[in-house]
Amino acid sequence: MDNHQHHESFVKKYIFSQDHKIIGIQYGITSLLFLLFGFYLVTVMRWQLAYPMEAFPLERFVYPLLGIGVILLFIRGLKIGIHSVVGVSLILLAGVSWYVATRDENMPNRIMLPEFYNQLGAMHGTIMVFLGVVPLAVGAFGNYIVPLQIGAPDMAFPKLNMSSYWCFFVGGVTMLVSFFVPGGAANSGWTSYPPLSDIATTGQTLWLLGMVFLITSSLLGSVNFIITIVQLRAKGLSFMRLPFFVWTQFVTSFLLLLAFPPLEAAGILQLMDRVAGTSFFLPSGLVVSGDPLPANIGGGTPLLWQHLFWFLAHPEVYVLILPALGIVAEVIANNTRKPLWGYKSLVYATIFLGFMSFIVWAHHMFMTGMGSTINAFFQITTMIISIPSIVILSAMFLSLYGGSIRINTPMLFALAFLPMFGIGGLTGLPLGLSTSDIHLHDTYYVIGHFHYVVAPGTIFALFAGIYYWYPKLTKRKMNEALGKIHFWGSFVAMNVIFFPMLIQGLAGVSRRLYDGGQTYAHAQSVLYLNEVMSIGAWSLAFFQMFFIVNLFLSIKKGKEVDDNPWEATTLDWAATTSPPLAHGNFAQVPEVYRGPYEYSVPGSDKDFIPQHQQ
Amino acid sequence: MKKSTLFLFIFFISNLSYSGNLTGKINFKGAAPKPQKIKMNSDAKCVASHKGDVISEQVVVNSNNTLKNVFVYVKKGLEGKKFPTPKDAVALNQQGCTYSPHVIGVMANQKIDIINSDNTLHNVHALPKSNPQFNIAQPKQGMKTSKSFTKSEVMVKVKCDVHSWMSSYIGVLDHPFYAVSDDKGNFTIKNLTAGDYEVEAWHEKLGVQTLKLKVTDKGATADFTFEGK
Repeated sequence: MDNHQHHESFVKKYIFSQDHKIIGIQYGITSLLFLLFGFYLVTVMRWQLAYPMEAFPLERFVYPLLGIGVILLFIRGLKIGIHSVVGVSLILLAGVSWYVATRDENMPNRIMLPEFYNQLGAMHGTIMVFLGVVPLAVGAFGNYIVPLQIGAPDMAFPKLNMSSYWCFFVGGVTMLVSFFVPGGAANSGWTSYPPLSDIATTGQTLWLLGMVFLITSSLLGSVNFIITIVQLRAKGLSFMRLPFFVWTQFVTSFLLLLAFPPLEAAGILQLMDRVAGTSFFLPSGLVVSGDPLPANIGGGTPLLWQHLFWFLAHPEVYVLILPALGIVAEVIANNTRKPLWGYKSLVYATIFLGFMSFIVWAHHMFMTGMGSTINAFFQITTMIISIPSIVILSAMFLSLYGGSIRINTPMLFALAFLPMFGIGGLTGLPLGLSTSDIHLHDTYYVIGHFHYVVAPGTIFALFAGIYYWYPKLTKRKMNEALGKIHFWGSFVAMNVIFFPMLIQGLAGVSRRLYDGGQTYAHAQSVLYLNEVMSIGAWSLAFFQMFFIVNLFLSIKKGKEVDDNPWEATTLDWAATTSPPLAHGNFAQVPEVYRGPYEYSVPGSDKDFIPQHQQ
Repeated sequence: MKKSTLFLFIFFISNLSYSGNLTGKINFKGAAPKPQKIKMNSDAKCVASHKGDVISEQVVVNSNNTLKNVFVYVKKGLEGKKFPTPKDAVALNQQGCTYSPHVIGVMANQKIDIINSDNTLHNVHALPKSNPQFNIAQPKQGMKTSKSFTKSEVMVKVKCDVHSWMSSYIGVLDHPFYAVSDDKGNFTIKNLTAGDYEVEAWHEKLGVQTLKLKVTDKGATADFTFEGK
């Protein structure tokens, strides 16, 4: 593939693009908007949890969205660009939010109904995981960075890449449309457990259709990543010279490729249950609202769904985490100015973790009565999988030792990731043991645990990545002062939100309670935390405004930098320009002569030696 | 008399039809079932809303050996006739964690105002067979939701998914000729046009009974007798 500029139409260049960088940006913008929307849903839920059954102050939630949207739209005089696309999206989001929240089926007289709360809960989880974090971590970062880091001109299959994005887009739109069908969006939790989901309102059908598109998108993407990494590495770039980020994307792709098909099959089976009268997940003798289901329905097993769902959804946890670990590794190595501690251990631990992630799924199902033998097996595998996780985290911590650490915004986010992910991981251990899981299952403890993994864990890593690679896309750095306000505000707010969840969960407060536990005697002593957490969530929303403003302001106003502003060693910085050339990426095809993290090499006049330097 | 006035007079006379009231009583024969106490222990707010025992309204035998809450309606005899839908809504109240009234009648497309007068969450789950189901929550005291059914259906069960003892029945008809027996067992269907009809009495536990009768301009009487099971 050559690297000269083609004269392509606007539509071909920016909409139906086959360039991995444009597709990466498309994934990035779309997934950030979905992250914002998913987060917005939870800020609305938190009103109900803090002040149950009190009238919802709609204006306070919608006006900020509208305001930022209008500012972005007009910031450069209504010119077409990323800012105006995002501006229009935010204005649309404000309009949709207004419409949805003022419907009597959802909030009569602004009082949230339980069925709407259930929709918000199910869609928050779905959107954050499947439409936010995974497409940002894999679709955006993977697409943009991997070909650059391996010295490839593009992904192996550009058309497949484009198809992957558009499948994701259609899946996302299907999920959004579901808010407008009778009965609203899916309301059976993000896990969609039958039999509840089998008999749920129409939104569940759209959820399943949306998932089929999203899974197809992931499968197309994962095949592409695997082939690209295996086939298109630059000369000299052996597997043990790959940046750790590429390794994490490589293993992630295998997880997506092997774990998602069972869920796609399960999704289609559930779709058949709902629209074609089958009973894959409906047991015999089921009584719904006092009425037995017709005699021709039954014979299925709801547990089958749980097995198929978690066979994907546990590896999915590592799909969320591994790219984040990859980003953090890059940022830490660069900002400590020393090689990653135990690079080979990291790689082997990641591969082992990938394998193990396929045999731990039923630790989500201890309460189903699988039997003590099966429980014992999954407890053991769960304890084993914590070993590579600890190896990776320890290696990251040890990498800090003795480094001349540069404290900048990406490094702050990467540093914060380590203890936050640590808390997330350690709080998972009691859930992996069936005895303690009996008490903690389905409580707020579980919510606290996985949010520590994904929110101040993965999302902090993704922020680190955005601040770190921003100059690659724009040739400018994001504003440091705004970045640090964003970091410190988010860091405090995240902990104010999620730590109290662990306390509430230990007190036995169940998740998915519409009133936050108000009607439960055992919850009374920890009810005050609901308001604390909600204030934390709204503060977190406030501090994200610094990020949004910074993201767009820096496109034109950010400090201009050279092609390698962080003095990094990997090919993405060293052998290409900022922003990279159109097709082809590199002015000269790079050749690799050394490992990915040759920082502070004794005898060298600089404290870093790029991979392509002889 | 002018021609036009005479024409109008003849037109008026020719369109005048006679109507009368159909009245009756729902008798009960046999041993009255023991009143069933409702246990509301699952919701302290429901318990607090009553001073004494709460008795189920499923079978209410009045002191004069008649039945309350029997839905009586004209089943046949009105085919092809159209009647305007009343603009007034019929109230279905949730008070003291019971539905009040226990049995109501409405016309198709007539509004039903479902009200929560309790300081607790109620879930209103209608289970019609011919009309679409609805399943809504009313978490706050004073909430009102208006619903209607488009097709006639006798009877539509309404229940609360939160409080399993709560149920109510709605008779949906495309005419206004129905009534519910009161605490003396009496019912009155007003202004029924003179003619031959089949009338049905429905009770949620004791089944249905039908009666063929003739209504004249002086009205008609229809007494039903249900036997205890």
